[in-house]
Amino acid sequence: MPSHPLRVAVVCSSNQNRSMEAHNILSKRGFDVRSFGTGSHVKLPGPAPDKPNVYDFKTTYEQMYNDLVRKDKELYTQNGILHMLDRNKRIKSRPERFQSCKDQFDLVITCEERVYDQVLEDLSSREQETFTPVHVINVDIQDNHEEATLGAFLICELCQCIQHTDDMENEMDELLQEFEDKSNRPFLHTVCFY
Amino acid sequence: MASNIGESAGARASVASQFFNEDTKSIDMTTSEKVVDLLNQAALISTDSKLTVLKQVQELIINKDPSLLDNFLDEIIAFQTDKSMEVRKFVIGFIEEACKRDNELLPRLIANLNMLLKDESVNVLKKAILTLTQLYKVALQWFVRSRVMSDMQEACWDMVTQMKEDVLNLLDMDNDGVRTHAIKFTESLIITLSPRTSDSDTPKRQEGDISLDKIPKDHPYIRYDTLCEEGKSALEQLLRFMVHPAISSINLTTALGSLATLARQRPMFMSEVVQAYETLHANLPPTLAKSQVSSVRKNLKLHLVAVLKHPCSLEFQGQISTLLLDLGMSQNEITRNTPAPREQRKRPRNEPYSDGKKIKMEPVLIEDDEDKEEPAPTSISKPSSVPVAQSAIDLTADFLRPLLSPENVANLVLISMVYLPDVMPASFQATYTPVESAGTDAQIKHLARLMATQMTSAGIGPGLEQCKAREEEAGKDEGLDDGLGESSKDLLIKRKAPAMGQAISVVGGGYTEKSQIPQVKRLPEPILPSMQIKTPGAGGKRKVFKLADVVQPFTDAQLEKMTNMAVKRILHSEKSIAQSGMAHVRVKLLSRLVCQFEGMMMDDVLEFILEDIRTRMDLAFSLLYQEYNTYLSQQPVGLLDAYDHCLFTLLAGLQERPEQRDGLFTKLVLEAPLITQSALEVIRRYCEDESRVYLGMTTLKELILKRPSRQFQYLHVLLDLSSHEKEKVRSNALSFVKRMYEKNQLRDYIEKFALNYMQLLVHPNPPSLLFGADKDTEVASPWTEETVRQCLYLYLSLLPLNHRLVHELASVYTEAIADIKRSVLRVIEQPIRGMGMNSPDLLLLVENCPKGAETLVTRCLHILTDKVPPSPELVERVRDLYHKRVPDVRFLIPVINGLEKKEVIQALPKLIKLNPIVVKEVFNRLLGTQHSEGSSSMSPLTPGELLVALHNIDSTKCDMKSIIKATNLCFGERNVYTSEVLAVVMQQLMELSPLPILLMRTVIQSLTMYPRLGGFVMNILSRLILKQVWKYPKVWEGFVKCCQRTKPQSYSVLLQLPPTPLTSVFERCPELREPLLQHVHSFTPHQQAHIPASIMTVLEANNKEPEPEAIRPLIMEKKVEAAPATIAPVTIAPRATIAHPATVAQPATFTIPASIAPPATITQAAIITPMATVSVQAEPVSVPVKEPEPPVQQLVTIKVEEEEPMDEGETATAIHEDTADTVLQVDLPVLEENPPQDPAETTDEPDEEPMEEAPTDPSDVTDQLKDVMKDITTEPETDTGKAE
Repeated sequence: MPSHPLRVAVVCSSNQNRSMEAHNILSKRGFDVRSFGTGSHVKLPGPAPDKPNVYDFKTTYEQMYNDLVRKDKELYTQNGILHMLDRNKRIKSRPERFQSCKDQFDLVITCEERVYDQVLEDLSSREQETFTPVHVINVDIQDNHEEATLGAFLICELCQCIQHTDDMENEMDELLQEFEDKSNRPFLHTVCFY
Repeated sequence: MASNIGESAGARASVASQFFNEDTKSIDMTTSEKVVDLLNQAALISTDSKLTVLKQVQELIINKDPSLLDNFLDEIIAFQTDKSMEVRKFVIGFIEEACKRDNELLPRLIANLNMLLKDESVNVLKKAILTLTQLYKVALQWFVRSRVMSDMQEACWDMVTQMKEDVLNLLDMDNDGVRTHAIKFTESLIITLSPRTSDSDTPKRQEGDISLDKIPKDHPYIRYDTLCEEGKSALEQLLRFMVHPAISSINLTTALGSLATLARQRPMFMSEVVQAYETLHANLPPTLAKSQVSSVRKNLKLHLVAVLKHPCSLEFQGQISTLLLDLGMSQNEITRNTPAPREQRKRPRNEPYSDGKKIKMEPVLIEDDEDKEEPAPTSISKPSSVPVAQSAIDLTADFLRPLLSPENVANLVLISMVYLPDVMPASFQATYTPVESAGTDAQIKHLARLMATQMTSAGIGPGLEQCKAREEEAGKDEGLDDGLGESSKDLLIKRKAPAMGQAISVVGGGYTEKSQIPQVKRLPEPILPSMQIKTPGAGGKRKVFKLADVVQPFTDAQLEKMTNMAVKRILHSEKSIAQSGMAHVRVKLLSRLVCQFEGMMMDDVLEFILEDIRTRMDLAFSLLYQEYNTYLSQQPVGLLDAYDHCLFTLLAGLQERPEQRDGLFTKLVLEAPLITQSALEVIRRYCEDESRVYLGMTTLKELILKRPSRQFQYLHVLLDLSSHEKEKVRSNALSFVKRMYEKNQLRDYIEKFALNYMQLLVHPNPPSLLFGADKDTEVASPWTEETVRQCLYLYLSLLPLNHRLVHELASVYTEAIADIKRSVLRVIEQPIRGMGMNSPDLLLLVENCPKGAETLVTRCLHILTDKVPPSPELVERVRDLYHKRVPDVRFLIPVINGLEKKEVIQALPKLIKLNPIVVKEVFNRLLGTQHSEGSSSMSPLTPGELLVALHNIDSTKCDMKSIIKATNLCFGERNVYTSEVLAVVMQQLMELSPLPILLMRTVIQSLTMYPRLGGFVMNILSRLILKQVWKYPKVWEGFVKCCQRTKPQSYSVLLQLPPTPLTSVFERCPELREPLLQHVHSFTPHQQAHIPASIMTVLEANNKEPEPEAIRPLIMEKKVEAAPATIAPVTIAPRATIAHPATVAQPATFTIPASIAPPATITQAAIITPMATVSVQAEPVSVPVKEPEPPVQQLVTIKVEEEEPMDEGETATAIHEDTADTVLQVDLPVLEENPPQDPAETTDEPDEEPMEEAPTDPSDVTDQLKDVMKDITTEPETDTGKAE
């Protein structure tokens, strides 16, 4: 669809790491991109696996950053959380929840199957109005910094390919098959309607 | 911009004051003006900003001021042909908004939407589908509201219905995205066309939407049942679509979602939906990849849950939860999603049972447990609660269950092992879960159901048959549950035994619990046909509609009219089609149509093409080739008529066009597959048009060169044109033919053509061929200059290229009549000159000189030597010819400068006897005065030598008159014969012995021309005395005259004379004596003493008798006295005329008045005088008789004949003929000229006037008259015609 830029949403669960990494790269490549989380809360690793830092979606990255600095600057600098938050706050002020966003997209990319399910559920629970299609694609990405970066590049490449197709809907299937073979990971893909 | 700011300013009331200006401005400007302004902008700007502007317009006229909507509708809709897809999409959006805002606009806009629905861009198409999804409802609602429908509304609804069908058909389109949209449309359509019920789960926003239940059953136009049927058939279509084996995953997920929506909003369809899900689950399309399978399964799960949540799903809970369990959902989740409200009612029966089981079994094998558990309650609840919903699958499953004994199943497995695929299919791999509870009752039931699903979709099994029977019954007896139950039961029993065998044989192809999926995938096709068989069967029963009953065949006239109109529409939609980029399709379409309909529209289309052929050329060619193709395909019996007509019309149309600069004509001709005869005619006409001749000929040339198979046909046209009457056409054709002539393969043809044409000249009359077809051919019409030329143009232009052809000309020439000969001689100049005198063929022609072609050869020689001196070879041939074959001296003239001196002198007597003009030419050649540019020195004789040679001519060989004329010619060349030359000549002449007769004449003339030669002449005279000049009577006579003229200078010479000659002088010229005497007296005495006495005696002697020696009577002397200038004629002329019998007969009549000519015209007079006598004499004879004509005529004739012997060399018959002709022609002018003179001569004395006017010589008369007759304009003196 070269006529207008692809409207992309990248969704992970907390709108912190994977979706923001992809958001960062995609926006640098000129996409009309937004990022979301689907979880009920924003969760960041805490001092122990069972003690995550939990915020709600209204909290800004800045606030989280300050909070974590205050809590244990050493720890969060070491595990890269502060660095991540610092990057995020330069992209946008606060995390967003997918379910609360009523804007329409052409393409929604999710970062894990659970998120994909949630997105589908949300989309199909909405009342259909215009029947405009939205493609939802799941790309499994593990929630750590390295995988997030690799995954972001993969997403970016995928988006670029889609952007360059003449007729996105007609070629999507084939394109995804190719990508599956190339990246050696399965993509879930479906279409929903607004 | 301003409006933008203005609007936002208006929206926000408390805007800073700096916006005030803009604000007021926007108020000042009415919305209408703003819209106009924006639309104007939109027409000119780029796509992006155009969209922005258009959106503003939309906002203004739809939301801000809807009253404007109507005004600007057309302007906005006009953008629907915009090149940009986005703009077109905008227009669609606008149509939607506008129609929603004002339903009245629907009839006006629906056609536009329909058009956009056919757009080539899929994106536009998709948008159009989306809009139609909305507008269908809007339209239906609007029409339902208005109870009375106008024609327009009815048409509008018909169109909407048609569009709906079109979109449904798009389900078969090959574009994935379009199909996706079509599915969604179908979904929406089904919902609209089915009644909403109390248990419908309608989204809030769609609360107000129309549905079938809101349509009144008595609406005048919209039929409730029709809509209902349409809804059902749409659902069928959707279901059919879903089971397509090659369905893409996206379409499949879309369809799954649509079905879920349907099930929730229209629970009445839940049974179909669940069944479809079951079928799908068991028969996932084989084309899906692994990840797609998981996507689809995930979707299926999602939608099943959604359906399950609906209160009406209760009846299907069993199937749904079985499916969900198969899809990997936990019982817990299923339970969580099972709807509560209905459940409450049923719980008393179901819940305790299942709950209890669940708690027990949960830790172990959840899935299989469910398989076991769940079916029980459903199977119980099913018959009781919804017997109607007991589908074919249920029946078949019931039928199968008792048959699935371990033994049977084992057999089935063994049989089907053979059909297992080599590789495990992706979908199987993804869905396979080990069956651990095999053999349990629940598992058997599940298995039976799976098999039943397969069998039903394959179109077999007792359930299906029962259903069919039930449907039939339903026609008569609707909704009778009991009856149905009974009948089904009966059937079940009856069918039991045979059905089993059938089941085994059919399913034997591939039945085992899990391998059924791949097996069916291998043979997916039967599913479709069976579904299709079902549908039409059902439809056939419900719809008694037969097309043939409703429609009537058109009459032929109607058909024709409509066909014509259709074609015309295509024809005239040029611009809009071109904008959409489908011009090539239109062209193809048009040409095919026109060809098929054999000429009906051909003329229209051709006319259309010709209106603007430049841009419609492709159509023209397409048409041509189509016609040609038709012709080829009908070989060998095919007729070219249609093609010919097409090509002819196009070419003729092009030919009539005023402007031709684009070369379309050429293009058409060269690219046409075949040039027909009539097309060739057009090309010919084109070539004949003087303003286009070059273009036409170029085209023709290309044709000749590039279409070798018919090149001679084309060449023939070109050759024909080479003798065209229009000069420009002809010359162009000739130059093209010349170019063609260089091609070897065309050479022969061209040559043959040219020679054939020339051969026409031997006919006594011009053949009709020479006159165009349009002219009436009078067989007897004579040859004219024009027709003769016509035959020769081509030949003559080829001649310089191929000299050998010249011999052909010679042979034709000998056979042709005199007129033609003359014309030929006239036209050959250019080509002969082009050949040049070194041409071997020309030399050969001269050498051979066929009898009868002498004049031709002479003419050639003249042409060749006209500007350049003759080559030695040429001279040699001519000399040979002259000496050995045709001793006509005229042959020598052209090459005279190439001859040796001796030869020239030898030929001179003969030469000067020729007619004066020819003689003049000879002299010109000899004196080099003719071609001024160089090579005059080539003459074998110097001017002096020539003059001397003339004097030396033996008077027996040539009459004196001719010699005199010849010398006069010399004197005429003042530039050549300067005083010096003449002095030398006189010197030489004087030394000759005997003295030449004309010596003194020459002396006197020299003196007249150059008076300063006086001294020299005196010297001559003195020396003549020494030579005893008085012994030569003629010279002596001249001597005396000379003395007389040169007195007083001559006195001293006279005094040197001996007495006797001196006496003779005085006898001749008595008036000399006295002055001479006085002269002597004026001498000093001493001087006087030197004069001999005898002289003095003579001087003083008075009135002595004239001596008998005197040659002329006294009268003569008197005349001489009176006109000293005419001495020469008087003395010599009489002698010169000896040759003329008439003159000789009456020498005494020399009573010519003295004042005959002024002194300045001596030469002329000298010639004229003697000849004049002829006519003067003739007249007195005729006048008294009062019958002037006959004698004169006779006389003239005689004279001409007398003249003949002079031209001894003339042997050619042609020349005789020629002369005879001329003689006859000469008669008239002579007759006319003479009679008027008669009165003058009779009344007055015979005066000099007529003499001057009258022809000077009979031969001259003929010659001059010939001149007139022949109308020779160019170079008369070189014309051989005159030589005769």
